[in-house]
Amino acid sequence: MSDYLHIQNIHKDFSGLKVLTGVEFKVKEKERHAVIGPNGAGKTTLFNIISGKFKPSSGAILFKGQDISGKPPHVLNRLGLSRSFQITNVFQELSVFNNILAGVRSHYGLRYHFFKKPDRDRNICERVEAIIDEVGLMDVKDQPANSLSYGKQRALEIGITLSTEPELILLDEPTAGMTREETNQAIKMINQVTAGRTLIIIEHDMEVVFSLANTISVLHYGTILVSDTPEKIRNDQRVKDAYMGEG
Amino acid sequence: MKQKNTSFIIIALFLAGAFMPLILKQYHLNMLTEIIIFALFAVSYNLLLGYAGLLSFGHAMFFGLGAFMTAVAIIHIPGLALWNAILIGVVTTIIAGFVIGSLLLRHKGAYFALLTLAFNALFYAVATKWHSVTGGDDGLSITRPDLSLGFTSISMASLTHFYYLTLIIVGAAIVFCWYFTHTAMGKTVLLMRENEERMKFLGYNTNISRLLLFTFTGAVAGLAGSFYTLHFQFVSISAISVDMTTAVLLMAFVGGTKTFWGPILGAFVYIILQNYLSNITDRWPLFMGFIFVSMVLFIPGGLSEVIMNIRQRLFGKKDNNGGKSAASEEV
Amino acid sequence: MNEIPVFFLHGLAYAGLLFLVSAGLTLVFGMMNVLNFAHAAMYMLGAYFSYSIMMHFTGQFWLSLMVCPAILFIIGALIERFLLRRVHKFGHVQELLLTFGLAYIITELVKWYWGNYPLAVNIGGFLGSTIQIIGITYPVYRIFIFLCAIFVGTVMALILYKTRLGIILRAAVNDSEMTNTLGVNVPLVFMGVFAFGAALSGFAGVIAGPLLSTFPGMAQEILLDAFVVIVVGGFGSLGGAVVASLLIGQLQSFGVLLFPKLSIALVYLLMAVVLIIKPSGLFGEEQ
Repeated sequence: MSDYLHIQNIHKDFSGLKVLTGVEFKVKEKERHAVIGPNGAGKTTLFNIISGKFKPSSGAILFKGQDISGKPPHVLNRLGLSRSFQITNVFQELSVFNNILAGVRSHYGLRYHFFKKPDRDRNICERVEAIIDEVGLMDVKDQPANSLSYGKQRALEIGITLSTEPELILLDEPTAGMTREETNQAIKMINQVTAGRTLIIIEHDMEVVFSLANTISVLHYGTILVSDTPEKIRNDQRVKDAYMGEG
Repeated sequence: MKQKNTSFIIIALFLAGAFMPLILKQYHLNMLTEIIIFALFAVSYNLLLGYAGLLSFGHAMFFGLGAFMTAVAIIHIPGLALWNAILIGVVTTIIAGFVIGSLLLRHKGAYFALLTLAFNALFYAVATKWHSVTGGDDGLSITRPDLSLGFTSISMASLTHFYYLTLIIVGAAIVFCWYFTHTAMGKTVLLMRENEERMKFLGYNTNISRLLLFTFTGAVAGLAGSFYTLHFQFVSISAISVDMTTAVLLMAFVGGTKTFWGPILGAFVYIILQNYLSNITDRWPLFMGFIFVSMVLFIPGGLSEVIMNIRQRLFGKKDNNGGKSAASEEV
Repeated sequence: MNEIPVFFLHGLAYAGLLFLVSAGLTLVFGMMNVLNFAHAAMYMLGAYFSYSIMMHFTGQFWLSLMVCPAILFIIGALIERFLLRRVHKFGHVQELLLTFGLAYIITELVKWYWGNYPLAVNIGGFLGSTIQIIGITYPVYRIFIFLCAIFVGTVMALILYKTRLGIILRAAVNDSEMTNTLGVNVPLVFMGVFAFGAALSGFAGVIAGPLLSTFPGMAQEILLDAFVVIVVGGFGSLGGAVVASLLIGQLQSFGVLLFPKLSIALVYLLMAVVLIIKPSGLFGEEQ
């Protein structure tokens, strides 16, 4: 059986600067996979390549056996892959409802229609409300995104990511900048909303990683140092060196 | 404004429009017909500028193309029905919009502005040089064909009849543009202006969206151009010149690009100012220029912003988005 | 008479003029990210000022070649300081609209003051004479234009790449906030760049006067060719402007010779081809 997602020997350099030098790991279906590593290890670059923002310099990404490397983001999204952003990337002036609506109607194929009004479709509206409920934003449903607290904007970010019903979700530091309490809530919420789907997450906060992931890959200097279960990673000497060595 | 209210206003405007031939003199009815046609042109322009945030300096190429195609078709095809003359104008602009749009779709901002201007200049140059077809500097004169409705035929020689046709067809096109801003495609355009990157990651092909919008607004401008020819029963290269683009830009901007109705108001103000100022002074373009630049500097929201502010002050009514942006969810 | 060398030299002369106009345009665009639609209008002002100066002080071409750019420098500085800077915070569309409106006003003012008809500028002396070159008799003035373009291009390149000022300029483009905190007065730098661009357009206007006629449509005519130059050469690229100017100069010149009816379309055809093959222009950086 072929793997669900296979990152094959990905290289990326930006005008000579080598950021990724042969990243290789596999993700099984329904796995909860964390990519960790010190700052500057290339985690976000890797995400940008998997999600189609950048093209890899070389290498392949096999998603259910099909090479998806270099495909534009909108195509990847329609294949069932959706990502969140480390720096909140929502529609600032629009209400929470309309933020989520943008993705839900895209999933329902209502992207470029010249006659249909998306907010008149009952199935779509129900799905939007369900997602808003899942990420806990029901009380601010009609408020514009830029009026929300930081924590709620982060929740909206995840809500938008979910709105196209992805089977593979990539979360880029979903709890960055949150207080401890907000983080705990966020972990709970992420665990609920991603249940039954494949999750890849970049995270700095070890507590978040150990409470969300069942497999961890350590990215160090542009390559994967080790890929294993959290228990093994916790005790791996190389990981300790890579991390502790740099604080 | 809630949509129910808007529908009510639309019906009221149509009814008021229907009574105008009884009230207005020929001269003013003429002007009103012109205003309706330019209102459509300005509305189509503002779907690019106000809604999508795309500054085009080439909108007159579609207006002029529609105008010329209608004239050329009427001249060269004897007995051509009025509908078909309009249809030929619109279909040609759809094709032109699609071809030019495919060359431009990767470009935004200054690049887009420059390229649209360049294409407009190309159209103008071709129209000037291709004397045998376009009449060059002399222009083309036509006679409006009668309107055939199958069972009966309505003479279009009368201004009143043509006014009603304009009110119904061009008015309906304006209403459709308003409706469009609430459809999936209309919302997609707004969302792209807000955050194009995120739209890509939600499965939207933003280049295709831009191409569709560009073609659509071009076709609407072509319809306006077609009526322009029918109205004046004459078309010259000024219809396809950069000056015509400047005119529509002035209309949209003076009226206000941040509301749907701003450009309609702008067309109204522009045509009236043009008629009266040009009687008083030959330098009226200079006045328009100064009005425009001062608005860019001091009232970027145009007249509609001024009106919204006054209304807010008088009635203390706070519109959800206070005219802040066409991206408001209901305009 | 042998036509090919003549048309070749014509092409070079027009390329020189095109470069003088587009260099200022592309400099301002590259440095400040502002596409100045009023650039050609300022070029036209230069030509008209020069006309008036030469009417007043008969035949003082060199005087007007120095005075007009200076006047335009001041006008440019004022526009940047009091108008452009105001709308900068509203974003790109507003900046474009402002420069477009200014072009419109300048054109109308020119029509008002100088009239809506072509004015001829005659140049006397050695510049107005002809010389023998590559076996043909050719006007000195057209060669002079080409030499002016080479001179201006060389000076610009030297300033940008060989002086401290050039380093500051390029730094201000890359990261204006950072350069600001390093003690460089970035607003002043931008004002200087814009004013320099205006002066350059004035210089080109003076040069253009004796070559083409001076009339209110001259701005739009050259603006479009200059736009094609920066689209083909690549936005903000000085080297691209050189190559594209030469290309379009020759295309215009031989276009008239070979396909008199299609000569305008040829330039746009080139632009369309470049847009399809390399949307960022021949020397433009990919995205």
